[in-house]
Amino acid sequence: MAREIPYIAAVQEAIRVEMERDPSVVFYGQDVAPSDEDPLVQAFGRERVRVSPISETAEIGMAVGLALAGYRPVVELLMAEFMLVAMNQVVNEAPRLRYMSGGQVKVPAVFKAGYGFTAGWAGQHTGSIYGMFMGFPGLKIALPSTPADAKGLMATAIRDDNPVCYLINYLLVLEHGDVPEGEYTVPFGEAAVRRSGSDVTIVATGWTVGRALAAAETLAGEGIEAEVIDPRTLNPLDTATILSSVEKTGHLVLVDQGTRHGGASAVIAAEVAEHGFTSLKAPIAQVTALDVTVPYSEPMEAFVLPNEEKIAGKVRQVLGEAPVAA
Amino acid sequence: MDADVAIGLLRTMWRIRCFEERVVQLKRSLQVHGLIHLSIGGEGVAAAVCGRLRDDDAVYSGHRAHGHAIAKGAPIDRLMAELMGRSDGVCRGLGGSMHLVDAEHGFMGATGVVGGNLPLALGTALTHHLQEADRVTVVFFGDGAVQAGHFNESINLAALWRLPVIFVCENNGFAEFTSREEHSTIERVSDVVAPYGFERTTVKGSDVPAVWEAFGGFLDAARGGEGPFLLECLTYRRRGHYEGDQQKYRDAAAEQEWAERDPVAQLTRRALDEGWIDDEAAAAIEAEAGEAIEEAVRFARESPFPEPAITAELVYAR
Amino acid sequence: MQELDNDRLVWMFTQMLRIREFEERVKRTFEDHPGVIRGHTHLADGAEASIVGSLATMAPGDQLMATYRCHGYPIALGTDTKSIMAEIYGRKSGLCGGYGGSMHLVDPSRGFLGTSGIVGQGIPQATGAAWGAQLRGQGQVVLGFFGDGASKQGAFHESLNLASLWKLPIVYVMENNNYNVSTRSEQEDANAANGEPLSVKAAAYSMPGVTVDGGDPIAVYETVGAAADRARKGEGPTLVESKVYRLSAHGNIIAPPGVPLHYPEHEAITTFGNREEYEAALRGDPVPRFRARLVEQGALAPERADEIAQEVHEEMDAAVKFALDDPYPEPEAAARADFVYA
Ligand SMILES: Cc1ncc(C[n+]2csc(CCOP(=O)(O)OP(=O)(O)O)c2C)c(N)n1
Ligand SMILES: Cc1ncc(C[n+]2csc(CCOP(=O)(O)OP(=O)(O)O)c2C)c(N)n1
Ligand SMILES: [Mg+2]
Ligand SMILES: [Mg+2]
Repeated sequence: MAREIPYIAAVQEAIRVEMERDPSVVFYGQDVAPSDEDPLVQAFGRERVRVSPISETAEIGMAVGLALAGYRPVVELLMAEFMLVAMNQVVNEAPRLRYMSGGQVKVPAVFKAGYGFTAGWAGQHTGSIYGMFMGFPGLKIALPSTPADAKGLMATAIRDDNPVCYLINYLLVLEHGDVPEGEYTVPFGEAAVRRSGSDVTIVATGWTVGRALAAAETLAGEGIEAEVIDPRTLNPLDTATILSSVEKTGHLVLVDQGTRHGGASAVIAAEVAEHGFTSLKAPIAQVTALDVTVPYSEPMEAFVLPNEEKIAGKVRQVLGEAPVAA
Repeated sequence: MDADVAIGLLRTMWRIRCFEERVVQLKRSLQVHGLIHLSIGGEGVAAAVCGRLRDDDAVYSGHRAHGHAIAKGAPIDRLMAELMGRSDGVCRGLGGSMHLVDAEHGFMGATGVVGGNLPLALGTALTHHLQEADRVTVVFFGDGAVQAGHFNESINLAALWRLPVIFVCENNGFAEFTSREEHSTIERVSDVVAPYGFERTTVKGSDVPAVWEAFGGFLDAARGGEGPFLLECLTYRRRGHYEGDQQKYRDAAAEQEWAERDPVAQLTRRALDEGWIDDEAAAAIEAEAGEAIEEAVRFARESPFPEPAITAELVYAR
Repeated sequence: MQELDNDRLVWMFTQMLRIREFEERVKRTFEDHPGVIRGHTHLADGAEASIVGSLATMAPGDQLMATYRCHGYPIALGTDTKSIMAEIYGRKSGLCGGYGGSMHLVDPSRGFLGTSGIVGQGIPQATGAAWGAQLRGQGQVVLGFFGDGASKQGAFHESLNLASLWKLPIVYVMENNNYNVSTRSEQEDANAANGEPLSVKAAAYSMPGVTVDGGDPIAVYETVGAAADRARKGEGPTLVESKVYRLSAHGNIIAPPGVPLHYPEHEAITTFGNREEYEAALRGDPVPRFRARLVEQGALAPERADEIAQEVHEEMDAAVKFALDDPYPEPEAAARADFVYA
């Protein structure tokens, strides 16, 4: 049975359900349940639900150690940027230990954080920095864009035997949607086709999925049918679904809340350019955040971000362009 | 310390010593490649600490890990194969000298990033605490790791949550080519953790019985769920920071000085004095170790290099 | 260290009042002008005595760095409150042109080198500034401000070790308000859990560590001043733990765009149900406490105190009005390449 709950509640629900299901799941982080009255503490006790100091390196490294010893930690990191002070543990320990040990060990840990809080939080708390994690084989990246996915991807992240950066988009936390009750998982590496269309493929993640769908509605009024694909996980990345869509539409617009250079959309563009070139009738186009630090003031912040108009405009441009020379 | 213990420790120390001396040659002849850090001069700490542990106790180490792995029970033939990049290596040739892992014997891993192992050890200690097991986690690190932020983060958390972890610092007075007084105003690592109010002590790493005793006391308490503890062992790094280091930054120790700091020589002398062994037995221990290492080298040479294709399946656990 | 004559004491009181009044205006903006302040603001109410006592020790050329809880410092340094308020309102004439907002105030012309929104990360930066001061060799010092929670960040340890080793001219001022957001210190700090002051951490760096009542500006002045004198003489850094009570919640509520923001009650109440703790802190409020003390010792006539309050009130009225009237920056200014790269 599904019922409508907010995205943020879906995440919490997944953690609770998985903790009930598997006693090896532990959950900790800064400000996680400082009060003993907290429902998670009430349900699972202080041993499995802990509040930890502002020591990201130790918090994340400890998760790696818990995982090596058979537990499934979920570390609450609040904002993706806070992982940056512990970059060694996130990218240089967690994803590499299995490989370097010749497969002897595994690191089933979830690094849970929010990103993209372009709501006036200025330069250090608004980044959409998931793209940088794509360069670390061994590290998975989940970016839920709906409440149901928020739950299902968290459950999968917890059950996955590898380190996962599970990144919620802070702009979506209060979005409501149908979420199945009880145990519910969404597989990694399977993109969701949020809208089908035959004229152009739009790939978007997180908050930009909604912007892309809104743009698609506008375009539908003009007789342009856009297919909107949400990869849901960037690693593993479902390139097959994207490529087959591009085969059908011949046009690709990539939307990314992150910056343009070195980002997720650039990686997807490269995959399609290499493996889908003959399908393309026009150059691939990207609608990304500008290559600047996100400014505080509202009009400037809006200027930097992708939005419906920019996406629709880019689609029109791509469809109007000359075919790619074969 | 009795005859059995001393003989056991001497065996382990000689195995480490012979292993590493052999690695020196293999490195020179390019049969071992990559960056190699040796622990010659510090074998006593590895032997006395790991010699007291069980397979289900966890040990973490760093870049200078051969001795810890050997003492924790990792098979020397597979360790040698790992250093030579072979498919029968403990890590199938994917890790090498700085990333030895032998989960079966509780050698949970070595990391090449200084101090990167400290928080990992806390996590494992937390699992032992959660399971109310009498298992203990030991983490080895150098004096250089103490100035890194994650050291302090780990110390605070270990103290706050009273984790059953024993921090073992091998203070050799050097981090790479820089001596400790250029890295910190605090000479003794055990003084750095003073504000955190847990049990700590400093011993000479060349005094193997002292390491054995001091660690034993901490271990008993940690088995009972207490912790954390810090054992600082003052050691002497006989060789350079890495194999190939010209060591222009320090004066070579006189042979006399080395003999005083050599844990193997010291324990041998003690064992002879106590009558636990005679000269013949002492020589036999050394010879046995040498033979075992030759056997390990043969094993490693016969082991094929890994198939390039094995790598993809190891990136993600399924 | 300079003697605190009556003029200086009154100056200190005035700065405390200005900070308090400014922070109250920021807080009130959420009700009076919903939507004008976005993102996250952190107020310094309760820490005025600590800030002013510390900054009163500064000599020309001294510098400081701080955290996201940063409104108080530039106010005491003399930065125009209009431009600070305009920054918090995201306006064009803001101190940082609307690029930085509440958490990222900076005024290098007055020695305020900036802040980090990331806990603990300003500590090494302040340490680097102190190295600069040492290189200049003019007896200048740097004040590095951070919270109690930040002392569990690795950067704290790395920085204090280096500063001690190199005898850098810096005073580390830890504003200990006993909370990291809603976590109490004894839940996350081994020393606090042991009932010890956090200044004991200094021993790990062979550095003096002192704890001072951060609600008493004179005590703070004397403690930080002694540490600064020591630093000026080349004797190295000091860790000062200044105990304060933050009188507001950690920050305004966190919510996506469209949800009206406001300040909730203090976490003592919302998380721990301990209203008494909070009310006790209010009874010890450093601002009225200092006023009463100055009046009692005859340094400040009550009428003059009222006048000052009135002037401060008018100043802040003007700051709010200015900031409200000030235009937003041009959206395209976001793309200024000369701000991305110098
Ligand atoms: C974070 C990090 N910084 C620098 C290095 C380079 N490095 C490798 S070993 C070493 C010295 C470590 O000294 P210490 O911890 O005392 O161990 P020792 O080599 O003396 O056994 C350094 C600086 C590294 N591996 N990781
Ligand atoms: C590295 C990092 N982790 C977490 C946060 C989120 N955060 C912001 S303020 C804060 C509490 C800091 O407490 P403290 O250092 O005591 O300063 P206070 O806010 O009490 O002045 C936290 C956890 C952050 N900004 N940076
Ligand atoms: Mg060393
Ligand atoms: Mg605080």
